[in-house]
Amino acid sequence: MPEKHAKIAKQKPAKKPTLRNKLVAAPAPKAPPERRKTPPPPAPKEMQWQRANFVDTFFKKGAEFTGELVQENDRLRKHNRDLETDNLALRTQLASDEAIRDLLKRIDHLEREKGALLSHITEAEAVSTRFTSRYSEMEEELSTLANLYVASYQLHSTLDLRRVVKHLQELLQQLVGARTHAIYMSDATAKDLVLVASEGIDPSKMARLPIQRDELSAPMIERAFLTGIEMIKSGPLAKAGKDNPAAVVPMRFDDRIVGVIVVYSVFEQKPAFLPVDLELFKMLSAHAACALTGAFLFAAANGVLPRPSDLLAATNGT
Amino acid sequence: MSAEYTCLVVEDSPMMRQLLVFALSRVKNLRVVEADDGVDGLRKLAGQKFDLILTDINMPIMDGLKLVKRVRSDAMHKDTPIIIITTEGSTEDRQRALQLGANAYITKPIQAPQVIAQVKALLKIDG
Repeated sequence: MPEKHAKIAKQKPAKKPTLRNKLVAAPAPKAPPERRKTPPPPAPKEMQWQRANFVDTFFKKGAEFTGELVQENDRLRKHNRDLETDNLALRTQLASDEAIRDLLKRIDHLEREKGALLSHITEAEAVSTRFTSRYSEMEEELSTLANLYVASYQLHSTLDLRRVVKHLQELLQQLVGARTHAIYMSDATAKDLVLVASEGIDPSKMARLPIQRDELSAPMIERAFLTGIEMIKSGPLAKAGKDNPAAVVPMRFDDRIVGVIVVYSVFEQKPAFLPVDLELFKMLSAHAACALTGAFLFAAANGVLPRPSDLLAATNGT
Repeated sequence: MSAEYTCLVVEDSPMMRQLLVFALSRVKNLRVVEADDGVDGLRKLAGQKFDLILTDINMPIMDGLKLVKRVRSDAMHKDTPIIIITTEGSTEDRQRALQLGANAYITKPIQAPQVIAQVKALLKIDG
């Protein structure tokens, strides 16, 4: 090392080892062996001073640059750490978003399942309602059939005229709910309807009803007898009465009309006729006359049953 | 199939009785015993225990009110549920029967579903 450089190094002792000091303190690079053979001439002092200054400035700048590099490095490291933190947060956020997306998918799936189940429940309820409705209809039909069976059974269970009439009246009261009623049969000339049984009316005042031939102008009872068409009120029955019967049902067998059943009024708990009542009226229209006539003929024969031979002869027309 | 419940139907009208029996035949596990009037009803009550009694009010020989009174004074049947069958105009009879210990009433003309519902309610039969 040249002496000048050593002096400068001694005059400005570095407080801490800097790159410059290290470079100054470091041994000069050895010249190639072939150059040692011809040592260069010593540089002038001015040049040496300039070179020292240059080296000094160079080292200073180098140290500053290195410091800056170190600072930049630190800054970059910190930035890197920040980025890593951000990255982690973002990853967490992403994972959370994915979890939310999964949950939303699950919710969507469950919503669809819920919709399907609700739809299924609605269908099941509709089916149940249909079954309930059908069950109710069947109950009603069964009840109607039972009423018809019982009425028909009771009507034909005897040939005793009084019992037939009693059954007929019971049927009107208990099944139809007739409060006041009358049963008329036409006399032999078919000019009058003759009262054969009644309930709730004065028989002496209504013992006979003359039959007018004009069926259009005839009162309701006679009109039903003449036309053979039953007249049954379809609306409320509260106002039905003697002059405005609730129902008039012609009694027939084969094609002959032989009388009428008149329901003048009904019980309060019977606001209107039900389908079962209409069926009962149809049954009465077809069966009551047969039951009454059969019982009447049986009574006329003094309760003597025909012999089988007589039945056979009557059947064969001989 | 053995009957779980036994019901006595007291009704003088054969038609009404038949109709009641028809209606009650649709109640599962219910056996029905018929009686023509109150006296016949008491005779049948003396022979066995019933789970329910269904009786008309207006009957010859012994009416439904007397029957209810007799049943309630009988130790064996004092707690047996009784349904009375009344007509529209017999509000007093109905009230009297309820006072004597009848549990429910049905008004004529009877409807099978109404009878079944009352019977099931008193026998505590579901469905």
